[in-house]
Amino acid sequence: MKKIFSIAKWEYLEKVRTKAFLISLIITPAIIILFSIIPGLLAQEQSESTKFIGVIDPSDKFFDNLKEEISKSKLENQQPKYVVVNLLSKNNSLAENLNAADSIVLNNAFEGYVYISEFGNDSVKVEFRSKYAGNFQDLKRIEEAINYVRINKKLRDENIDSKLSSFINKKVKVESVKIDKAGSNKDFDFLTTFYSSIVFIILLMMMIIYSGQMLVRSLLEEKSNRLIEILISSCKAEELLAGKILGLSALGLTQLFIWSIISLGLTGYAVIPLSVFVNLPQIILYFILGFTFYTTLFVGIGSIVSTEQEAQQMTSYLSLILIIPVVIILPAMQNPDSLLIKVLTYIPLTLPSVMILRLNIGDVSVADLCLTTFIMLLSTFITIKISAKIFRIGILSYGKMPGKSWINEK
Amino acid sequence: MLEVKNLVKVYKNVVAVDGISFTVKQGKIFGLLGPNGAGKTTIMRMILNIIKPTKGEIIFEDKISNKEFLNEIGYLPEERGLYRKSKVIDLLLYFASLKNMDRFSAKSEAINWLSKLGIKDLMNRKIEELSKGNQQKIQFISSVLHKPKILVLDEPFTGFDPINQQEIKNYILEFVSTGKILILSTHQMDTAEKLCSEIFLINEGKEICSGELSEIKRKFGGNYIRIGFDGDIQFLNHHQQVLHREIYNNYADVHLSDDANPYEFLKSIIDKITITHFSVIEPSLNKIFIDKVNHSSGMVK
Repeated sequence: MKKIFSIAKWEYLEKVRTKAFLISLIITPAIIILFSIIPGLLAQEQSESTKFIGVIDPSDKFFDNLKEEISKSKLENQQPKYVVVNLLSKNNSLAENLNAADSIVLNNAFEGYVYISEFGNDSVKVEFRSKYAGNFQDLKRIEEAINYVRINKKLRDENIDSKLSSFINKKVKVESVKIDKAGSNKDFDFLTTFYSSIVFIILLMMMIIYSGQMLVRSLLEEKSNRLIEILISSCKAEELLAGKILGLSALGLTQLFIWSIISLGLTGYAVIPLSVFVNLPQIILYFILGFTFYTTLFVGIGSIVSTEQEAQQMTSYLSLILIIPVVIILPAMQNPDSLLIKVLTYIPLTLPSVMILRLNIGDVSVADLCLTTFIMLLSTFITIKISAKIFRIGILSYGKMPGKSWINEK
Repeated sequence: MLEVKNLVKVYKNVVAVDGISFTVKQGKIFGLLGPNGAGKTTIMRMILNIIKPTKGEIIFEDKISNKEFLNEIGYLPEERGLYRKSKVIDLLLYFASLKNMDRFSAKSEAINWLSKLGIKDLMNRKIEELSKGNQQKIQFISSVLHKPKILVLDEPFTGFDPINQQEIKNYILEFVSTGKILILSTHQMDTAEKLCSEIFLINEGKEICSGELSEIKRKFGGNYIRIGFDGDIQFLNHHQQVLHREIYNNYADVHLSDDANPYEFLKSIIDKITITHFSVIEPSLNKIFIDKVNHSSGMVK
């Protein structure tokens, strides 16, 4: 036991002192801050300035009402959100009008323009033509406005009772509420959930990739200069392995601790939403479980590889697996009960990050918490056994991949 | 006393070590000799508990080697390696702590050794800043710092200049004189000849010969003489007792048959030629080594 601590202390101190560690301390939070600030900035920018929207309505039936309706939207400072301008010039042909409008938009003078073409029988086709087709907020507003205008026009034309028409126009808004067992209903904030999940998963990823590579590199160094022979002739392979994992975990916890302080400081500035910290104990549990599991996995890998290139290849493959939850984060938020998510919840490689995601999306049952923790502990235990075996044999073999006979060997 | 009993190591289909047994006594330097790939390193690794033997056992002070045994061993591997980015003193204290040595005595002992080897002022330097010779010294210190009862040295002199070689040799002899066990593996036969009192020669995992050095020389040395002469010595080619000769300008090395007495041989040739020099040559360990290894390899083939 004493030797395990000696090894852990050595590994910890040797790595804490490196420049790479200092850099990782700063770079990782920097990346995460960028992740959390940039979308916010973009969203803010969107709402802060008044946008110019053109309209080309050859029928001339909708423009006035549309202008009135869209102009109802206000910015936070009570300035109008949109200024609607008629771009139709009666002297020119329709094609010329459209060309002129296109160039105005392309020159960034206007956000975009609405082109309404009527076919008779009340059938209309509306296009919102803009440089950035993905601006769903503007699109949604225009869609709402045009529908409102069109329906009201029809209601007026048909002389429908004003009571009825006001009923028709009254929209029912559906609010999204996240429920948990405690009974306290919280508003489900899509963005908060999204960013807090992503922040934690990226933190975990960075920690695993960073310390995994560090572990593999140090094993490789000890292997290539045969330091490992001195180490193994001084303590048991299992002690060395345990010491290394312990030292590295301490390093990981140091990182986590410093990052937590940084992010706590940032919550003051509302960069990271407070709600992120609601599930913190569970999230930290999966952090530690995931971290330990991957670390033991990297020990096995570090024992097999004999060159830096090989090591890099192996670690980047594993890192790819870690990215899976980031890729599935959107579909997972829409449908947390899907089969894919359920399957990924029980695979040790993806379990920690998927569980972090699930903890943020909705309530995870106690049974699930226990089951997944058990799976992690069991698979970590199995990985330690296998890794220790590969380690014992692999560290003394140079440039050979392990075969079946390795595993059978005592 | 360290006993190795019937040690066998099998890798897949290759038998690396095949039934090796020997005993190393306190206060003696035991030379483990053999060509490259003979199995020396494998035997040492099994003694050091780096790899497990397929069969056989290692017994130290009447006990089968166990965990505590590791603390009594010092090891200097053939390929040297240290943590390049670490400070000399930190590294030495780390290795000592792995041998269960307490920090305080480890530190005083480390400083003691560093001063002995004249590199005390380097103790706060990083390993990578040291010259190769000084790195070797640090490695040597790390193997003896914890006062092991058994010291295993694999090619200890490679990388040292002649002055440092002499210095290390003296420390090795000093170490052994305090009643400790030393296993030395080398293929530098002159080193082995000067240092070892017992040798164990292996090839292809098998013992070829073993015992006290002087005894081995007597037993396997053969009957060699050197003659300095003036005149024509061609008659040696037809002499009954001559097995082999190498004739140079004014001297000849002669291998006599085992039953021949060198002095009778001298009498038989003294009136045929002018003798300027006559000596009985004790065969070098090198010669025994080459003869034996070639002989055993030939037999296997």
